[in-house]
Amino acid sequence: MKHRTFTQKSKNNRHTATGSRCPLRLKYMKYLFCYGVLFFFPFLVRAQETAHMSIGEKRMLPIKEGLYKSFFNTGNGKPVKVKKFHLDEYAVTNEEYLEFVKANPQWRKSRVNRLFADTNYLRHWESDLSIGEKNREIYRSPVVYVSWFAAKAYCAWKQKRLPTVAEWELAANAPPKNQKYGTLTEYILNWYKKPNPAVLPAVKSTYCNTNGLYDMHGLVWEWVFDFNSYIRGGDSRAKGNEDKNLFCAASSLDVKDRTDYAAFLRFGYRGSLKGNYCIANLGFRCAKD
Amino acid sequence: MKYTIFKAAIAAIALGFTISGCNSPKAKGTGEMSSEAVTGEEVAVLTDAPNVPPPITRKHPTKVMVNLEVIEKEMEMMDGVKYIFWTFGGSVPGKFIRVREGDLVDFTLLNMPDNKLPHNIDLHAVNGPGGGAEATMVAPGQSGHFQFKALNPGLYVYHCATGPVGMHIANGMYGLILVEPQAGMSKVDREFYIMQGDFYTKGKFGEKGLQEFDMDKAIKEDADYVVFNGKVNANAGPNAMKAKVNETVRLYVGNGGPNLASSFHVIGEIFDKVYVEGGDMVNKNVQTTVVPPGGATIIDMKMNVPGTYHIVDHAIFRTFHKGTLAQIKVEGDEAPNIYAKIKK
Repeated sequence: MKHRTFTQKSKNNRHTATGSRCPLRLKYMKYLFCYGVLFFFPFLVRAQETAHMSIGEKRMLPIKEGLYKSFFNTGNGKPVKVKKFHLDEYAVTNEEYLEFVKANPQWRKSRVNRLFADTNYLRHWESDLSIGEKNREIYRSPVVYVSWFAAKAYCAWKQKRLPTVAEWELAANAPPKNQKYGTLTEYILNWYKKPNPAVLPAVKSTYCNTNGLYDMHGLVWEWVFDFNSYIRGGDSRAKGNEDKNLFCAASSLDVKDRTDYAAFLRFGYRGSLKGNYCIANLGFRCAKD
Repeated sequence: MKYTIFKAAIAAIALGFTISGCNSPKAKGTGEMSSEAVTGEEVAVLTDAPNVPPPITRKHPTKVMVNLEVIEKEMEMMDGVKYIFWTFGGSVPGKFIRVREGDLVDFTLLNMPDNKLPHNIDLHAVNGPGGGAEATMVAPGQSGHFQFKALNPGLYVYHCATGPVGMHIANGMYGLILVEPQAGMSKVDREFYIMQGDFYTKGKFGEKGLQEFDMDKAIKEDADYVVFNGKVNANAGPNAMKAKVNETVRLYVGNGGPNLASSFHVIGEIFDKVYVEGGDMVNKNVQTTVVPPGGATIIDMKMNVPGTYHIVDHAIFRTFHKGTLAQIKVEGDEAPNIYAKIKK
């Protein structure tokens, strides 16, 4: 979106430049400008190359070590220590995932093992090796309808891995860079409430947080390595120990601590997943030590 | 070896308990149920409020397939006021389900693929852990499936029990399931489905536009809207329920809450019969009956006199300021022997 408005502006500028009659001196300036362009040409090409590279080799941002206080009491109830790690700046896109599928035939739609991905796997793609011309709008959107197994395999292919719950939550808890929203929690809750949009927007279309990460909330849900290690039961109320944690957490939620309320929904969501599920609003990004 | 014998013994004792345990719910019902075998299969007719599926004429238990969809969608809470509701079947309250005592209910809950959140269902008519909640906890695009035997006749609430439960209920995730007794129910002329719910929005009552759920208010139980059937005036004015003079009307009344109990009252009518709390006990000649959140009641009343009857929560500020109003318009001949306005 931003990109489009930018090109539009430059077009307008050009229009005004040719429209105005310049005095003689400016004409020479023009030549100077042209030679200048020739002079800088090799650099421009290189810049373009790096821009292209950044799609393939997207930036991974360092996340400082820290303590993640789990929404649920895990083990002794002490916060989890998270070591320094790196996280993709934005979610894996359809375009990026296509490269993976090309290189790994066993992850093509028609060949994937049903144990590792249910029948919804890449259902929004036209075919095995084509996202589809009519789906042009989502090339740069997060890839969804991918299973946990698929996400894990993708990250391994990139010599990366899926982040853990603790890592993901720690990285995502960072506030937005520009405080457009009342609070991050309110922003998250509003997003959780809304059904999926007809066309999933591109990556980097929501906010950037102080870790430099894009769209940690507000675009898609994301797979994490240990998504199912917190809740096993489907009933969120008292029954069994792990559920009791959830129940207790519910009762301890007060108005001051609304971040947990959003976390409650997030953990509930993760608890409803199975490794082979492929869902319309569930994507992923990779991590590295 | 010894250990195995010991385990077997424990298992036998446990089994004994289970078998004896089975007797108690049957005792609560009308009994005799075990003698009837489940035969055949049918798909349940589901209706949106204020409509109720037709009475069951079957004289034997059957396997009833109930397919319910969870749909998150934007609807109006009042004219000009929008809200993102989470629904069982696309409206608030959810679809009315009607089965017969002894039926084997085969329940499938589909969480629509474009929904954002996981959901499930706890039916109060179920004897079993979580009322089905555990079995039906499903991610978007998935479906949950379970079966239960409708052991106890009565009118029951169902609702979503996914955490945070309060938020799911506050967004409209509730409805009613009726388990008709084996002996059937007395015949009436008309049946209606009314369910109360309280809503909490960032804007005040009547503030236009898309309104967001307000958790602070929900926790304080400070409702902006208290409505029947999911919307202010859902069944009032042109959408009022209709009946004729001398007809007996049966109301299946539920309360989804999440917070507020209903002092359910019909202005100008006396409830001839109230099936207290939706169970077997019948109270007669009742003016106002309490319907708690997560509870239901069945009301029979004969409409003797023509006119418009206002259904209210007699915690009356709610009616004037928060929306608890529905209407039944009764047409027919005046009955001056029962009610007459005297002209000066």
